[in-house]
Amino acid sequence: MIKVVAACGNGMGSSQIIKMKIAKVFKKLGIEATIDHMSVGEAKSAASGYDVVFCGASLVGNFTVKNNRTKIIGLVNLLSEAEIEEKVKENGLK
Amino acid sequence: MDDLFTIVNTASTLFANNILAKPEFFIGILVFIGYMLLGKPIYEAFGGFIKAAVGMMIWNVGSGGLVTTFRPILAGLNERFHLNAAVIDPYFGLNAAGEAIKMIGMSLSWTMISLMVGFSWNIILVLLRRYTKLRTLFLTGHIMIQQATTCTWIIFFAIPELRNFTGALWIGLLVGTYWAVFSNLTVEPTEELTENAGFAIGHQQMFWVWVTSKLAPKLGNPERSVENIKMPRWLTMFNDNVIATGTLMLLFFGIIMTILGEPYLRGIDKAGFPATLAFPTYILGKSLSFAVYLFILISGVRMFVSELTESFRGISEKLLPGALPAVDCAATYGFSSPNTVLFGFIFGCIGQFIAIAGLFIFQAPIMIITGFVPVFFDNATVAVFANKFGGARAATILALGTGMLQVIGGGFAAWFFELYKFGGWHGNIDWDTLWPVIGVLLKTFSTPGLILVIVLMLMIPQLQYRRSHNKENYFKLTDGSEF
Repeated sequence: MIKVVAACGNGMGSSQIIKMKIAKVFKKLGIEATIDHMSVGEAKSAASGYDVVFCGASLVGNFTVKNNRTKIIGLVNLLSEAEIEEKVKENGLK
Repeated sequence: MDDLFTIVNTASTLFANNILAKPEFFIGILVFIGYMLLGKPIYEAFGGFIKAAVGMMIWNVGSGGLVTTFRPILAGLNERFHLNAAVIDPYFGLNAAGEAIKMIGMSLSWTMISLMVGFSWNIILVLLRRYTKLRTLFLTGHIMIQQATTCTWIIFFAIPELRNFTGALWIGLLVGTYWAVFSNLTVEPTEELTENAGFAIGHQQMFWVWVTSKLAPKLGNPERSVENIKMPRWLTMFNDNVIATGTLMLLFFGIIMTILGEPYLRGIDKAGFPATLAFPTYILGKSLSFAVYLFILISGVRMFVSELTESFRGISEKLLPGALPAVDCAATYGFSSPNTVLFGFIFGCIGQFIAIAGLFIFQAPIMIITGFVPVFFDNATVAVFANKFGGARAATILALGTGMLQVIGGGFAAWFFELYKFGGWHGNIDWDTLWPVIGVLLKTFSTPGLILVIVLMLMIPQLQYRRSHNKENYFKLTDGSEF
């Protein structure tokens, strides 16, 4: 079971989209996870408590987590399940 | 027979007083029914009911806090300078429209009915796509709440005869037509920007995205992109909505409270401003508490909207598989460089500040306070599209212009729709340009005006289809299949 957070500017629209898309991809790949969504402002403080942070590619620079646990994954197309799947595999999540 | 009548009558009174008058339970029940219809287990439907109701009650807490914090400042500005003030931000606007609706003795449940009607109407319009030429389904839950609420107030305000169930249906038709027509208008520019990523914009600047995509090529050269411009590093801190909102509130309310003056504020706020508290501490605390209540309100909205969005998506996947989803404008940001987003924000800010100074200089009866959401998201989106079609020059000019229009149009709207009384206006660019025009039409021509607006909107996709260069592909989806 991994802990995932989806983040976007205000924590309302895009992060919810990412969350629903990640849930779909995880289900397909058989990854068990709890997924939250919030704004970048909140996620910056909470990131170290998560295994993965998903956000738009332009927001990756906001996160500076220094531990061996948290991975930051930036997405170009928030709606592309193919891109999420590829990046999930690239980062070896399970 | 009489008995039956009495029972029906009692039941409907009971329903009106306990469910309709309590939007938190109304929305909870809607979510519950939605989940049951989607075939989810009953415990999940129950969970949905609780989260929707609690979310809406949290919203009420945030809203109440904003109102009480704001009231003395609004009163002070009015008493001392005969000035009215409004924050142009969709959450302040949501709060103001909600308060206005309650003030005329109506309930926010009407807004929820309109929301359901609007969503269903959008589905129907897309099901009839061969005739309507509409392809997109608006799925951005939080925006739908905000727009349905503002639209409810616009109609209740402009056409008082419609402050009833029929009115709720009309509001749904109007806002649903706006969702379907204007998200459909963003399909071509968005597909071009994202190289057919398969979504359209369903947000607060759909009309303006189209305007931007038409104006930008005339204003600059796409080869000279914002991507090559170096932006100062400290600007990235404004990606953080807490920092950005707190800073804006501190700036604006700091100035306002300084102008109102220490003796005046000590006089009207005895409990909050005891003799032991210094003026700067008071300003800091008061200004930041606007941000605090705003985040409470937002987290409440987020909680019940995520339930709503799940059910909307479930329903749409069943009824309309393959419809183009119209989603949050921030979904386009990945298709531009990060500095384009900040570039738009900065020039939008400058535009807003210039226009606010203008309001002061020309002694307008209303003062506008910059809110985070329009100045950031509208202008970032404008910059992303303008940069794609006209490079850095177009992005500069259009973000500046959008910022100025947000203040001027928003000021007009806050004054015209009388929402300055509650200190807020929706503020996103479509609601500072297109909607004030619609509002004036409704106020002038009443119900015939309403019908006219809906018919005119429905003509837009017809023109769009007629003008499209590639009619065979109009209904084609990104994967090449026919929709």
